[in-house]
Amino acid sequence: MKLLYELPKKQKEVFEQARSNDEKLMYCLPYNIEGDSFINDGYMVFTDKYIYKIRGEKLENKFDLSKCSDFSTEILYGSCGFYAKVDGDTTLLCRFVTARHMPRYTVMVKACELLAERASNEPITNSEPEKFCPKCNRPFISNTHFCPYCQDKKVVYKKLWAMTKGLRLMMLVPLITVMISVAFRFILPVIQKIAINNFIQNPSVDIGNSETLVHFITIILCIVTLDIFHRATVVVRNRIAAISGNKFTQMLRTVLFEKIQTLSMSSIQKKSTGDLMGRINNDVNVVQNFMTNLLPTYFAQLFSFVLALVLLLMMDPFMSLFVLVPVPIAITAITLFRKVMRRRNVRAWILGQRTNRKLQDILDGMRVVKSYGNEKAAVGEFNECTENQADQDESNSKFYDTFFPIVGWVIGFGNYLIILYGNILLFGGTMQVGTLNQFTSYSSIIYEPLMQITNIPNNISLFTTSLSKIFEILEEEPEVSDIGLPIDIRIEGDVSIKNVTFGYDSYNPVLENINIEIKKGEMIGIVGHSGCGKTTLINLIMRLYDVSSGEITIDGVNIKDISQNALRSQMGVVLQETHLFSGSVRDNIRYANPHATNEEIINAAKLANAHEFILNLPEGYNTMVGEKGFSLSGGERQRIAIARALIHDPRILILDEATAALDTETEKLIQDAINKVVKNRTTFAIAHRLSTLRNADKLVVLDHGRLAEFGTHRELIDKKGIYYHLVTAQQEALLKQQ
Amino acid sequence: MPTATETKKADTKPKVTEDYTDEEIEAMFNKRESVPLTMENARFFLSSGGLVSLELKNKNGETETFERVVIIRSFPVSNPDEYISIREPNTKRRGNGAEIGMIKNLADFDEATVQLLNTELDRRYFTPEITKIFSMKEKFGYSYCEAMTSAGKTTFVLNNPYSNFRKLENGSVLISDMDGNCFIIPSPEALDKASYKKIEIYL
Repeated sequence: MKLLYELPKKQKEVFEQARSNDEKLMYCLPYNIEGDSFINDGYMVFTDKYIYKIRGEKLENKFDLSKCSDFSTEILYGSCGFYAKVDGDTTLLCRFVTARHMPRYTVMVKACELLAERASNEPITNSEPEKFCPKCNRPFISNTHFCPYCQDKKVVYKKLWAMTKGLRLMMLVPLITVMISVAFRFILPVIQKIAINNFIQNPSVDIGNSETLVHFITIILCIVTLDIFHRATVVVRNRIAAISGNKFTQMLRTVLFEKIQTLSMSSIQKKSTGDLMGRINNDVNVVQNFMTNLLPTYFAQLFSFVLALVLLLMMDPFMSLFVLVPVPIAITAITLFRKVMRRRNVRAWILGQRTNRKLQDILDGMRVVKSYGNEKAAVGEFNECTENQADQDESNSKFYDTFFPIVGWVIGFGNYLIILYGNILLFGGTMQVGTLNQFTSYSSIIYEPLMQITNIPNNISLFTTSLSKIFEILEEEPEVSDIGLPIDIRIEGDVSIKNVTFGYDSYNPVLENINIEIKKGEMIGIVGHSGCGKTTLINLIMRLYDVSSGEITIDGVNIKDISQNALRSQMGVVLQETHLFSGSVRDNIRYANPHATNEEIINAAKLANAHEFILNLPEGYNTMVGEKGFSLSGGERQRIAIARALIHDPRILILDEATAALDTETEKLIQDAINKVVKNRTTFAIAHRLSTLRNADKLVVLDHGRLAEFGTHRELIDKKGIYYHLVTAQQEALLKQQ
Repeated sequence: MPTATETKKADTKPKVTEDYTDEEIEAMFNKRESVPLTMENARFFLSSGGLVSLELKNKNGETETFERVVIIRSFPVSNPDEYISIREPNTKRRGNGAEIGMIKNLADFDEATVQLLNTELDRRYFTPEITKIFSMKEKFGYSYCEAMTSAGKTTFVLNNPYSNFRKLENGSVLISDMDGNCFIIPSPEALDKASYKKIEIYL
């Protein structure tokens, strides 16, 4: 991330005049909001002694760093502010656009603290990637570093070309067959012309003459065979398109899905499931449809358009004018028609979406609707949506059905002119019927693509966007990745967390400077207010994310050096909400280790206190659970999750609010299971109910991302700090309930 | 039975990286009580840093001074002048600041105070008005817009205009862009025809 912007000339002069010689320029950032206006000539210049606020040719302000303290950034509404205490008075130093500069100014908070303390004379750097194109200032496509405006389209097409390896021959076939069928289309009118001019229109022909008869029959046969060939090539072409198209789709989908599986949790979480599914399904379809259907069609149309035009001009240049004159009018008419239609369709689509959303919203909240007796209001709300949608659909249909035929008439207008002029020539004897027939056949070939021509730019843009979205995933670098030669270690369970700082966004650290030493086999309870970073700490230990600074080691080895496979296969996780995959209980338990024997499965289930209830299910361990299977209670699912976590005998066990959603009775069962399984394993447990952490060897108390307290239950109670207050608060609440 | 390792553990003192004062722990568990703010108990004035300070007379008649207060609207869209929360600033150490009190209606205060508070509110709720739209192009899944606003000419990018455009109760339209900027069109129908046509489908 850029922290030292180049000052423009004017501002640079101001700065050079204001600074003294021994000052060192450290950072320079733009600020873009002043009063009630956007500005583009404001800069904050940070030296090792002063902060200069320069706008245009004017030095707005100068702050002595040694008199500043308590730097902070604040997200306002529609902008952000950079604050500091100057001589003890809180002052707004500058305001700036949120997404573009918030990360920079947050780094600057830290940097200014260092400058004010005179701790370091070297500017700090930040490796967070930019989110905006440095060339045109437009945002990059999310999570990538490509700007659709500045990006070279050729590169995208080249990448696509590289991907079609192995399918190229198959993709060439549709193009060739298209050309063949076009050729047939052009020959047909020629033969028809011969038939009409020489036989049908020729009064001197004697059909009784055997030679003439053979001639005539040959021509008829030619027409029939040509037609058969024409249709046969279409069949072949479509069949091959189906094969290559589906192969291509399947290949793209597999590659995409494989890639998504290798992506780290952090990049997956930035995308919604719907978005990922959309890319695997829709975007791949768009690309495939374009490559195998649209592209050959456009090619064929272009080819026949040019050919027909040349032939017409050769036949009768003057008459061709009648064909060409209506073309611009027709294109205008179609463009207008499409534009209006698109607007109307978008509206209809939005209204349809609104109806769907309302429907889902109300159905999901059916219990709430019923319990507040709000059914009538719900019906009213839904009716309004469907009514609007129906009105729009109706109006769209009417519009389409009225104007589409009119547009069709405009397009066909050229034909009337030709027939008119052609007949004049016919009566004058300068043209024969067959020639006129050939002429009109060719002119209709010219008109045919017009309907679609206006759609081409739109389709190409759709295709490029979908393609870019696919490549965006394919080219994403996993944020958490193995080093060159990762180590496979047998984990014992000593975990040490040293100076760890982490934030999902660098400017908003969730954990700050955490130091914890854990010996193997210990059970660690993690407590604190919600949002204090408990789950984040666990995510870091599992290495779903990489720490921003500091390090986490297991048995003295940095977890970044351990292969992710080795790390995860020796960890067991039980989360608050357990996801059971569609499949049997057995499949779900052995999810982490598909080769587990039945005996191992039973042992794990017994340890998890799950064996008894599983045997009471209709098909025991083979009972189907998950989306379409047997529905289990929260406690039962949780116990299956514990069994799943135990199946590979993990050295490190993680319990993230494993008992939070359960009633006391079930909690006891699970607590009992947990007590059995934590023996000899390093265990991290997050719990809201502190009573469940009674057996923990050590407790970690987090507060706003910092380690507030660390020690045994006894020590922390004696200390009368945060933990003591949390415990007493919960006990009071319990007493009140009773 | 305490084993050898356990006794050893007990010897090492609990390691605490951050020490909290008793007041801080107290404040963490007992948040201050918010009071209604009126001309009688609250005096707002311009701080030496150019922001807003508050002098508050509490129940016991003692005066508390806040060097800087944060001013937040409860209903920024529907009732911008009512239920205005006056808060302590968020700090890194203490997290979110507590509410000191609430102003039920800005009109309860004298003109000078209202002006002072409004200046701060305008700074916080920076929502330029769009007066003209030069272009609105959908490309590559983003929508790029060039517009004239009360804060000057600007270009902004939307990632999904159908949800970035929000029709408010009072008929105005709020647009939030990818940069975190907010724009408002007080009455879309009052825009010139060319501008209106460009955004019509998103409304």
